[in-house]
Amino acid sequence: MINVLIVTRPKYDDGTEYLSYYASLVIKEARDKNISVSDFEGEEANKGDVTKFIEKRNPNIVFVNGHGNEDSLYGHKEIIFSMDNINLLKGRLIYARACSAGAKLGKGVVKGNNGCFIGYKYPFSFWFDEKWSAKPSNDNIAKLYLEPSNQVMLSLIKGKNSQEAHEKSKALMLENMKRILVLEEKKEPGTMGMLQILWNNFDGQVIYGNFFARLE
Amino acid sequence: MNSEERKGEELKELILARIEVMPSNLKLSIGNFGTFTKQELMEHVKKGDEEGKQIMQMQINFIKALTSGRFIETLNKND
Repeated sequence: MINVLIVTRPKYDDGTEYLSYYASLVIKEARDKNISVSDFEGEEANKGDVTKFIEKRNPNIVFVNGHGNEDSLYGHKEIIFSMDNINLLKGRLIYARACSAGAKLGKGVVKGNNGCFIGYKYPFSFWFDEKWSAKPSNDNIAKLYLEPSNQVMLSLIKGKNSQEAHEKSKALMLENMKRILVLEEKKEPGTMGMLQILWNNFDGQVIYGNFFARLE
Repeated sequence: MNSEERKGEELKELILARIEVMPSNLKLSIGNFGTFTKQELMEHVKKGDEEGKQIMQMQINFIKALTSGRFIETLNKND
């Protein structure tokens, strides 16, 4: 079986710019491993095109980047997945790097099927350095939050199962929290605020459904 | 002001103090809520609007994890 990965990564504000850049690192890694990747970037991350692709190509893994809420995931300024078209996601391995969809939508996605959903029950948040907003690769503050989230996908690409990918990501968040605590000891300003946001992502990251789902 | 209101105000002061010390070059992205400078974060907390409530909630989650010992316990488990 050929693994097919679909990635949605709108970029129309600072938050989605950062998510899109970090998603591009995952895409590169997946292509290096000969995974078939369909990249819906910017305005291409729209409901019509994404729906057509899923119906036609039946991807086994879906990586959503962007905004979200308890019952919806957004593409380019529009909802692409909601409770109304939840069937598009069922039976697949989903990682939603977006706010709050783990509170409701994610539970519905895995109901009555063998799929898996990894996402966040709280808003996915991160600090970034304004000076690097046009060049996220240089931003060492944002990296503390976005590298651990990338680890979910990177672990899956390396053949780990969904539970292992989820746990590896959370372990990296804890490592980064320890790094921030070292800064706190050095009296660097703002470390508690940085720690608090990473804790919320850690505490909010959830996995539902098939914990043993993996790429073929 | 009753004791509940007083506690709420004290918590708000604590949260504002924590935001105040953030470096000015940092901004916080909170998904659908948007991206905020520290001044904007403080304004929302003072107003108590939807964004302010969300910022407060995130801080409260962390404070609870600290005071319950869950934060330290989780960090130590990972050693």
